[in-house]
Amino acid sequence: MQIFNWLFPAKGDDVRSTAKDRMRSMLTHDRLELPAGRLETLEEELMAVVGRYFELDKDTTHFDLQQYERRASLIANFRLLRSKC
Amino acid sequence: MSGRVIVITSGKGGVGKTTASANIGVALASTGVSVALVDMDIGLRNLDILMGLENRVVYNLVDVVEERCKLRQALVKDKKLPNLSLLPAAQTRDKSAVNAEQMKALCGELKSMYDFVLVDSPAGIEQGFQNAVAGADEAIVITTPEMSAVRDADRIIGLLEARKDEIKEYRLVLNRYRPTMVANNDMMSVDDVLEILSVKLLGVVPEDEDIIISTNKGEPISGTDNIRAGLAYRNIARRIRGEDVAIMDLESKNSTWINKIVSFFNPTVRV
Repeated sequence: MQIFNWLFPAKGDDVRSTAKDRMRSMLTHDRLELPAGRLETLEEELMAVVGRYFELDKDTTHFDLQQYERRASLIANFRLLRSKC
Repeated sequence: MSGRVIVITSGKGGVGKTTASANIGVALASTGVSVALVDMDIGLRNLDILMGLENRVVYNLVDVVEERCKLRQALVKDKKLPNLSLLPAAQTRDKSAVNAEQMKALCGELKSMYDFVLVDSPAGIEQGFQNAVAGADEAIVITTPEMSAVRDADRIIGLLEARKDEIKEYRLVLNRYRPTMVANNDMMSVDDVLEILSVKLLGVVPEDEDIIISTNKGEPISGTDNIRAGLAYRNIARRIRGEDVAIMDLESKNSTWINKIVSFFNPTVRV
Protein backbone atom coordinates (compact mmCIF):
# COMPACT_ATOMS: atom_id res chain seq x y z
CA MET A 1 0.00 0.00 0.00
CA GLN A 2 2.83 2.33 0.85
CA ILE A 3 4.41 1.89 -2.54
CA PHE A 4 1.00 2.56 -4.13
CA ASN A 5 0.71 5.87 -2.27
CA TRP A 6 4.18 6.75 -3.33
CA LEU A 7 3.56 6.00 -7.00
CA PHE A 8 0.15 7.72 -7.07
CA PRO A 9 0.25 10.49 -4.49
CA ALA A 10 -3.08 11.77 -3.16
CA LYS A 11 -3.76 15.28 -4.40
CA GLY A 12 -6.03 16.06 -1.46
CA ASP A 13 -3.44 17.38 0.97
CA ASP A 14 -2.56 20.68 -0.67
CA VAL A 15 0.20 22.16 1.48
CA ARG A 16 0.98 24.62 -1.29
CA SER A 17 -2.42 26.37 -1.05
CA THR A 18 -2.23 26.41 2.73
CA ALA A 19 1.19 28.07 2.58
CA LYS A 20 -0.03 30.60 0.04
CA ASP A 21 -3.12 31.53 2.05
CA ARG A 22 -1.17 31.89 5.29
CA MET A 23 1.48 33.91 3.49
CA ARG A 24 -1.06 36.30 1.98
CA SER A 25 -2.81 36.97 5.29
CA MET A 26 0.50 37.35 7.15
CA LEU A 27 1.92 39.86 4.64
CA THR A 28 -1.29 41.90 4.59
CA HIS A 29 -0.98 42.31 8.35
CA ASP A 30 2.80 42.93 8.14
CA ARG A 31 2.52 45.62 5.49
CA LEU A 32 -0.16 47.54 7.37
CA GLU A 33 1.55 46.88 10.71
CA LEU A 34 -1.83 45.58 11.77
CA PRO A 35 -1.89 43.75 15.11
CA ALA A 36 -3.79 40.44 15.29
CA GLY A 37 -7.43 40.92 16.28
CA ARG A 38 -7.57 44.57 15.23
CA LEU A 39 -9.55 43.78 12.10
CA GLU A 40 -12.13 41.86 14.12
CA THR A 41 -12.59 44.85 16.43
CA LEU A 42 -13.12 47.13 13.43
CA GLU A 43 -15.61 44.67 11.98
CA GLU A 44 -17.64 44.71 15.22
CA GLU A 45 -17.59 48.50 15.39
CA LEU A 46 -18.61 48.93 11.75
CA MET A 47 -21.41 46.39 12.19
CA ALA A 48 -22.66 48.40 15.17
CA VAL A 49 -22.66 51.67 13.20
CA VAL A 50 -24.37 50.24 10.10
CA GLY A 51 -26.67 48.31 12.43
CA ARG A 52 -28.02 51.60 13.83
CA TYR A 53 -29.46 52.40 10.39
CA PHE A 54 -30.25 48.98 8.99
CA GLU A 55 -31.24 45.55 10.07
CA LEU A 56 -28.39 43.33 8.88
CA ASP A 57 -28.16 39.73 7.78
CA LYS A 58 -25.14 38.99 9.93
CA ASP A 59 -24.53 35.53 8.49
CA THR A 60 -23.86 36.77 4.97
CA THR A 61 -22.00 39.95 5.88
CA HIS A 62 -18.56 39.73 4.35
CA PHE A 63 -15.48 41.49 5.62
CA ASP A 64 -12.09 41.09 4.00
CA LEU A 65 -8.69 42.66 3.37
CA GLN A 66 -7.47 42.21 -0.20
CA GLN A 67 -4.10 42.96 -1.75
CA TYR A 68 -3.44 44.40 -5.16
CA GLU A 69 0.13 45.33 -6.14
CA ARG A 70 1.26 45.64 -2.51
CA ARG A 71 -1.66 47.92 -1.59
CA ALA A 72 -4.42 46.70 0.67
CA SER A 73 -8.15 47.34 0.23
CA LEU A 74 -10.77 46.81 2.87
CA ILE A 75 -13.80 45.12 1.35
CA ALA A 76 -16.93 45.21 3.51
CA ASN A 77 -20.16 43.83 2.18
CA PHE A 78 -23.20 44.33 4.41
CA ARG A 79 -26.32 42.44 3.47
CA LEU A 80 -29.19 44.83 4.36
CA LEU A 81 -32.60 43.48 5.28
CA ARG A 82 -34.54 46.70 5.95
CA SER A 83 -34.13 50.26 7.13
CA LYS A 84 -34.53 50.93 10.80
CA CYS A 85 -36.15 54.36 10.59
CA MET B 1 32.83 55.35 -17.01
CA SER B 2 29.74 55.10 -14.86
CA GLY B 3 28.84 51.55 -13.89
CA ARG B 4 25.75 50.15 -12.20
CA VAL B 5 25.80 49.50 -8.47
CA ILE B 6 23.55 46.54 -7.61
CA VAL B 7 22.98 45.46 -4.01
CA ILE B 8 22.19 41.78 -3.38
CA THR B 9 20.02 41.42 -0.31
CA SER B 10 17.46 39.12 1.34
CA GLY B 11 16.55 40.01 4.92
CA LYS B 12 16.76 36.42 6.07
CA GLY B 13 20.15 34.78 6.44
CA GLY B 14 21.06 31.48 4.85
CA VAL B 15 18.99 31.83 1.67
CA GLY B 16 22.07 31.99 -0.56
CA LYS B 17 22.91 35.70 -0.84
CA THR B 18 26.66 35.27 -0.86
CA THR B 19 26.52 32.28 -3.21
CA ALA B 20 24.34 34.32 -5.55
CA SER B 21 26.71 37.31 -5.36
CA ALA B 22 29.72 35.14 -6.27
CA ASN B 23 27.87 33.39 -9.09
CA ILE B 24 26.28 36.48 -10.60
CA GLY B 25 29.68 38.20 -10.40
CA VAL B 26 31.42 35.37 -12.26
CA ALA B 27 28.59 35.05 -14.79
CA LEU B 28 28.57 38.79 -15.51
CA ALA B 29 32.36 38.95 -15.83
CA SER B 30 32.24 35.96 -18.21
CA THR B 31 30.14 38.06 -20.60
CA GLY B 32 33.12 40.42 -20.91
CA VAL B 33 32.14 43.35 -18.66
CA SER B 34 34.26 44.45 -15.68
CA VAL B 35 32.84 43.58 -12.27
CA ALA B 36 33.71 44.47 -8.67
CA LEU B 37 32.25 42.29 -5.92
CA VAL B 38 31.95 44.08 -2.57
CA ASP B 39 31.56 42.03 0.60
CA MET B 40 29.59 44.24 3.00
CA ASP B 41 29.15 41.57 5.66
CA ILE B 42 31.71 43.20 7.93
CA GLY B 43 32.75 40.86 10.73
CA LEU B 44 31.42 37.79 8.90
CA ARG B 45 33.54 37.69 5.76
CA ASN B 46 32.62 34.85 3.39
CA LEU B 47 32.65 35.97 -0.21
CA ASP B 48 36.43 35.44 -0.40
CA ILE B 49 35.96 31.73 0.42
CA LEU B 50 33.30 31.22 -2.24
CA MET B 51 35.57 32.87 -4.78
CA GLY B 52 38.54 30.77 -3.65
CA LEU B 53 40.46 33.98 -2.89
CA GLU B 54 40.82 33.71 0.89
CA ASN B 55 44.62 33.37 0.70
CA ARG B 56 45.03 36.53 -1.34
CA VAL B 57 43.27 38.99 0.95
CA VAL B 58 45.69 41.62 2.24
CA TYR B 59 43.59 44.74 2.83
CA ASN B 60 39.83 45.08 3.21
CA LEU B 61 36.94 47.50 2.85
CA VAL B 62 37.43 49.05 6.29
CA ASP B 63 41.14 49.65 5.52
CA VAL B 64 40.05 51.59 2.43
CA VAL B 65 37.44 53.64 4.30
CA GLU B 66 39.90 54.42 7.10
CA GLU B 67 42.56 55.27 4.51
CA ARG B 68 45.12 52.68 5.54
CA CYS B 69 45.43 51.72 1.88
CA LYS B 70 44.38 52.78 -1.60
CA LEU B 71 41.21 51.24 -3.06
CA ARG B 72 43.24 49.53 -5.80
CA GLN B 73 45.48 47.85 -3.21
CA ALA B 74 42.52 46.26 -1.45
CA LEU B 75 40.90 44.85 -4.60
CA VAL B 76 41.74 41.16 -5.11
CA LYS B 77 41.76 39.95 -8.73
CA ASP B 78 39.94 36.71 -9.54
CA LYS B 79 42.13 33.71 -10.43
CA LYS B 80 40.49 33.04 -13.78
CA LEU B 81 38.76 36.26 -14.80
CA PRO B 82 41.07 39.31 -14.91
CA ASN B 83 38.04 41.63 -15.28
CA LEU B 84 36.57 40.45 -11.94
CA SER B 85 37.77 41.77 -8.56
CA LEU B 86 36.74 41.32 -4.95
CA LEU B 87 36.73 43.97 -2.24
CA PRO B 88 36.76 41.81 0.91
CA ALA B 89 35.01 42.67 4.17
CA ALA B 90 36.99 43.14 7.38
CA GLN B 91 36.82 40.05 9.53
CA THR B 92 37.74 41.57 12.89
CA ARG B 93 35.47 44.63 12.90
CA ASP B 94 31.69 45.07 13.01
CA LYS B 95 28.92 46.78 11.05
CA SER B 96 29.50 50.14 12.75
CA ALA B 97 33.02 50.40 11.24
CA VAL B 98 31.57 52.21 8.18
CA ASN B 99 28.63 54.53 7.66
CA ALA B 100 26.23 55.19 4.77
CA GLU B 101 28.08 58.30 3.56
CA GLN B 102 31.37 56.42 3.36
CA MET B 103 29.66 53.60 1.45
CA LYS B 104 28.16 56.07 -1.03
CA ALA B 105 31.60 57.56 -1.68
CA LEU B 106 33.15 54.10 -2.05
CA CYS B 107 30.46 52.92 -4.50
CA GLY B 108 30.89 56.16 -6.44
CA GLU B 109 34.60 55.51 -6.81
CA LEU B 110 34.06 51.85 -7.75
CA LYS B 111 31.52 52.62 -10.42
CA SER B 112 33.96 54.97 -12.09
CA MET B 113 36.29 51.95 -12.44
CA TYR B 114 33.91 49.05 -13.22
CA ASP B 115 30.86 48.33 -15.41
CA PHE B 116 29.15 46.55 -12.53
CA VAL B 117 29.55 46.85 -8.76
CA LEU B 118 27.78 44.03 -6.88
CA VAL B 119 27.33 44.65 -3.16
CA ASP B 120 26.73 41.55 -1.03
CA SER B 121 24.55 42.76 1.85
CA PRO B 122 24.58 41.19 5.32
CA ALA B 123 21.36 39.58 6.61
CA GLY B 124 18.99 41.70 8.65
CA ILE B 125 17.52 45.17 8.21
CA GLU B 126 19.80 47.08 10.57
CA GLN B 127 22.83 49.25 9.92
CA GLY B 128 24.67 46.63 7.85
CA PHE B 129 21.77 46.53 5.41
CA GLN B 130 21.39 50.32 5.42
CA ASN B 131 25.10 50.68 4.58
CA ALA B 132 24.90 48.08 1.82
CA VAL B 133 22.00 49.83 0.05
CA ALA B 134 23.40 53.35 0.60
CA GLY B 135 25.28 53.59 -2.70
CA ALA B 136 23.11 51.27 -4.79
CA ASP B 137 21.20 52.13 -7.98
CA GLU B 138 19.41 48.78 -8.20
CA ALA B 139 18.71 45.78 -5.99
CA ILE B 140 18.39 42.03 -6.32
CA VAL B 141 16.25 40.43 -3.62
CA ILE B 142 17.06 36.77 -2.95
CA THR B 143 14.56 34.42 -1.37
CA THR B 144 13.75 30.73 -1.21
CA PRO B 145 10.12 29.55 -1.55
CA GLU B 146 9.88 29.06 2.24
CA MET B 147 7.42 31.15 4.22
CA SER B 148 9.90 32.77 6.60
CA ALA B 149 12.23 33.74 3.74
CA VAL B 150 9.36 35.18 1.67
CA ARG B 151 8.14 37.18 4.66
CA ASP B 152 11.59 38.69 5.20
CA ALA B 153 11.92 39.39 1.46
CA ASP B 154 8.64 41.31 1.65
CA ARG B 155 10.03 43.42 4.48
CA ILE B 156 13.12 44.18 2.39
CA ILE B 157 10.98 45.11 -0.63
CA GLY B 158 9.08 47.55 1.61
CA LEU B 159 12.37 49.17 2.66
CA LEU B 160 13.57 49.34 -0.96
CA GLU B 161 10.27 50.95 -2.01
CA ALA B 162 10.88 53.63 0.60
CA ARG B 163 14.18 54.43 -1.18
CA LYS B 164 12.56 54.71 -4.62
CA ASP B 165 14.51 57.89 -5.39
CA GLU B 166 17.88 56.15 -5.19
CA ILE B 167 17.01 52.52 -5.98
CA LYS B 168 15.42 52.64 -9.41
CA GLU B 169 14.74 48.96 -9.82
CA TYR B 170 14.57 45.79 -7.77
CA ARG B 171 14.00 42.25 -8.98
CA LEU B 172 13.63 38.87 -7.33
CA VAL B 173 15.78 35.75 -7.54
CA LEU B 174 14.00 32.65 -6.28
CA ASN B 175 16.69 30.33 -4.97
CA ARG B 176 16.72 26.63 -4.03
CA TYR B 177 13.63 25.94 -6.09
CA ARG B 178 12.38 22.35 -5.91
CA PRO B 179 10.15 21.59 -8.91
CA THR B 180 9.27 18.10 -7.68
CA MET B 181 7.88 19.47 -4.41
CA VAL B 182 5.90 22.12 -6.30
CA ALA B 183 4.51 19.47 -8.66
CA ASN B 184 3.34 17.52 -5.60
CA ASN B 185 1.69 20.65 -4.16
CA ASP B 186 4.05 20.60 -1.18
CA MET B 187 5.61 24.01 -1.82
CA MET B 188 4.77 27.41 -3.30
CA SER B 189 5.47 27.82 -7.03
CA VAL B 190 7.33 30.63 -8.79
CA ASP B 191 4.00 32.24 -9.72
CA ASP B 192 2.68 31.93 -6.16
CA VAL B 193 5.69 33.80 -4.75
CA LEU B 194 5.60 36.47 -7.47
CA GLU B 195 1.90 37.03 -6.93
CA ILE B 196 2.27 37.32 -3.17
CA LEU B 197 5.23 39.71 -3.33
CA SER B 198 4.06 41.65 -6.44
CA VAL B 199 7.60 41.84 -7.73
CA LYS B 200 9.44 41.40 -11.03
CA LEU B 201 11.36 38.15 -11.52
CA LEU B 202 15.04 38.17 -12.40
CA GLY B 203 15.59 34.42 -12.22
CA VAL B 204 14.92 31.04 -10.65
CA VAL B 205 17.79 28.87 -9.39
CA PRO B 206 17.00 25.20 -8.79
CA GLU B 207 18.20 23.44 -5.65
CA ASP B 208 21.45 21.78 -6.59
CA GLU B 209 23.96 19.74 -4.59
CA ASP B 210 26.65 20.89 -7.00
CA ILE B 211 26.44 24.32 -5.32
CA ILE B 212 27.92 22.84 -2.13
CA ILE B 213 30.64 21.09 -4.12
CA SER B 214 31.52 24.30 -5.95
CA THR B 215 31.69 26.21 -2.65
CA ASN B 216 34.08 23.63 -1.25
CA LYS B 217 36.26 23.97 -4.33
CA GLY B 218 36.12 27.77 -4.27
CA GLU B 219 34.93 27.88 -7.86
CA PRO B 220 31.51 29.46 -8.41
CA ILE B 221 29.22 27.14 -10.33
CA SER B 222 28.24 29.66 -12.99
CA GLY B 223 31.65 29.05 -14.55
CA THR B 224 30.77 25.37 -15.03
CA ASP B 225 28.77 23.99 -17.94
CA ASN B 226 26.08 21.29 -17.74
CA ILE B 227 24.82 22.28 -14.30
CA ARG B 228 21.32 23.71 -14.15
CA ALA B 229 22.03 26.11 -11.28
CA GLY B 230 25.06 27.39 -13.20
CA LEU B 231 22.95 27.97 -16.30
CA ALA B 232 20.36 29.76 -14.15
CA TYR B 233 23.02 32.21 -12.94
CA ARG B 234 24.34 32.78 -16.47
CA ASN B 235 20.78 33.56 -17.58
CA ILE B 236 20.43 35.99 -14.67
CA ALA B 237 23.61 37.78 -15.78
CA ARG B 238 22.28 38.10 -19.33
CA ARG B 239 18.99 39.52 -18.04
CA ILE B 240 20.90 42.05 -15.92
CA ARG B 241 22.63 43.15 -19.11
CA GLY B 242 19.23 43.72 -20.68
CA GLU B 243 18.89 40.57 -22.77
CA ASP B 244 15.47 38.97 -23.00
CA VAL B 245 16.11 35.41 -21.81
CA ALA B 246 13.20 33.08 -21.06
CA ILE B 247 13.00 31.51 -17.59
CA MET B 248 14.19 27.94 -18.09
CA ASP B 249 11.67 25.16 -17.82
CA LEU B 250 12.11 23.73 -14.36
CA GLU B 251 8.84 21.87 -14.24
CA SER B 252 9.62 18.51 -12.83
CA LYS B 253 9.71 15.60 -15.17
CA ASN B 254 10.17 13.28 -12.22
CA SER B 255 6.64 13.33 -10.91
CA THR B 256 5.04 10.84 -13.27
CA TRP B 257 4.92 7.32 -11.90
CA ILE B 258 7.04 5.75 -14.63
CA ASN B 259 9.83 8.21 -13.92
CA LYS B 260 9.51 7.55 -10.21
CA ILE B 261 10.12 3.87 -10.85
CA VAL B 262 13.14 4.64 -13.00
CA SER B 263 14.62 7.05 -10.45
CA PHE B 264 13.85 4.56 -7.66
CA PHE B 265 16.12 1.98 -9.23
CA ASN B 266 18.66 4.49 -10.40
CA PRO B 267 18.51 7.80 -8.54
CA THR B 268 21.26 9.33 -10.66
CA VAL B 269 19.16 9.20 -13.82
CA ARG B 270 17.44 12.50 -14.48
CA VAL B 271 14.51 11.68 -16.68
